Amino acid sequence: MSSPAALLESDASGPRLTSRGDLTGFFMQLAADIAADSYMLVAIVHDQDRNDARIVSSNWIFDAIELIGKRLIANLALGPLTAAPGMRPKPLVAAHAPNARALLTGEEARLLDVLGHAEIYSLRLNVGHQRLFVLFSAAEPDRIDVTGLMKAQLQCCYALSGIPQLIAAAAMQDPLSDRERECLFWVSEGKTTDEVAVILGVSSNTVNSYITHAIQKFAASNRAMAIATAIRSGII
Amino acid sequence: MKHAQVKEAAAALFNDQRNPFGAFSLGSDTHGAATIPDAVRRCRWIAVDINASAFGLFFVSPSAERARLVACFDSDYPSTAVATKFISGANGEEMVRHSRTSTAPRWWADEAVAGSPRTFRDLAWATPVAPLAPGTSGIALPVHADRGQCGLVVFLGSEMTLSDDSLYEIHARCFALFAAVARIRPGDAGGTRAISKRELECLKLTANGNTSEEIAKLLKLSVHTANQYLTQSTQKLNAVNRNQAVAKALRLGLIE
Repeated sequence: MSSPAALLESDASGPRLTSRGDLTGFFMQLAADIAADSYMLVAIVHDQDRNDARIVSSNWIFDAIELIGKRLIANLALGPLTAAPGMRPKPLVAAHAPNARALLTGEEARLLDVLGHAEIYSLRLNVGHQRLFVLFSAAEPDRIDVTGLMKAQLQCCYALSGIPQLIAAAAMQDPLSDRERECLFWVSEGKTTDEVAVILGVSSNTVNSYITHAIQKFAASNRAMAIATAIRSGII
Repeated sequence: MKHAQVKEAAAALFNDQRNPFGAFSLGSDTHGAATIPDAVRRCRWIAVDINASAFGLFFVSPSAERARLVACFDSDYPSTAVATKFISGANGEEMVRHSRTSTAPRWWADEAVAGSPRTFRDLAWATPVAPLAPGTSGIALPVHADRGQCGLVVFLGSEMTLSDDSLYEIHARCFALFAAVARIRPGDAGGTRAISKRELECLKLTANGNTSEEIAKLLKLSVHTANQYLTQSTQKLNAVNRNQAVAKALRLGLIE
C-alpha cells in the first residue's frame, strides 16, 4: 500500500503539504486507500448566528454540492453521526437507514444516493481551534474500510497540523493584510491602540486605521465583532 | 444474575475495552462511566501494546500567558513520577504551543540508548523535539476534546515498538481516552470561575457586534446590568477588557 505521506515533500519536520494541489493529492490517495469514492474537507464557520460550511477541498461533482446545498453539508458535519478521533465512526446510509431520517428529507436522501454518496462517514479533525471535518463517501454501502478510516482520520489531522494558513485561506479568502492581522491579534489580546502602537513601532493613528480597515473588510460593526469573526475563521 | 454470568459479562467488558479498535464505539456507555482509575488502566493497556515503560496524561492550560502542562495522572498513579514533574516543569512551554495548534506527535531519544531513535525516526509524521525529561526516550501525542480542551499523552521507554500504522491506532485510542478524561474533569480552565449563562449570553451578543445598549434591549435588561454582566465575565476570564474577553471565550469554546 502506498502511503499518502510518501507523496509529499519531506523536510526536517516531516512530510508537508505545501499547496492546494498537495492537499487534493493527499486526500485522493487517502480515499483510495479506504475504498471511498469521494472526500470533502470542510470548515464550519459561524457566520451571522448560523453555521456555514466552507469547502476547503473536495472531489464531489459540482451538481452534488449544488443540489445538496452547503446548509445540509454543515448539518451533516455537525450532526450526531460525526466521530471524533478514536470514536468508531457510523455511516449515514442515504437509502433506508432510520438514522438518515433526522438529517435528510426523503428527496435529499434519494439525491445523495443517485449522486454516488450512498454511504457517508463524517469525521471530526481536531487541529487547533478550527472546526474541520472530512466526509468520505462511497457509491454503495458497506464498502468503506472502517478501521482504515479511523487511521485515515489521524493522518488527516497530522497532515493538516502544519498548515493553518493554507486551510484558513482556502476556507475563507483571508482578506486581511499582514499588518491588519497583527493589529487585530494584539487587540484580541486586550491591548489598547496605544499599546499596539508601541508593540509594532508605528503611530496610534496608523494602528487605528489598520483596525478600521479590518473592521470594514469583515463588514463588522465594531472591534469585538471583527475579532470574533477573525477567530471563528481561524485567521488569528 | 448468576455468578458465572457476572463473570462472563465482566470478561466481555474487559475484552471490549482491551480490544484496540472495537472499544470506542460512538455513544457507548464506557465513555460516560469512566473514572480516573479506569482511564489509568486504559492508558496502561496502550502503554503495554507499544512496550512503553511509563506514561502520563497532561492537560494543556488554555490561558495564553500561563502556558504549561498540568499533570492529570501517570503510570505511578495515585502518586506522581519524577519524569512527570519534569514534564510539567519549565520544559513544557514549546510543547504547549505545539499541542494547541497541531496533532503531530513529537519524540525525543536519550543519546545513551542506541535503539529508540531508530523506531521514532521511521515514523513519517513524528518530529524530534528536545527531551521533555532528562535521561528518557519518549513520544508525546497531542490530543483534543470537543469542548476545546487540549492535552498531551506522553509515553516513555527506551524499547518502544511503534510503526506508522500502529501510531495511528495508538493516537486514536489516546484521543478516545482523553475525551473520556476531559468529560470527568472538564478542563483545567486556568483558575476561571464558572461563568453564568446570562454572562455568556452577553458575551455572545458582544461578539456578534452588539453594543451594551443593544444587548440591554435584546435581553430586556437595563444597560447597567448588561455592563455588569460583561465586567464580571471579563474578570472571570482574567481578561483586561471586553475585546480580550470575547477572544478568550471564543478560543476556550465557551461561545461559538
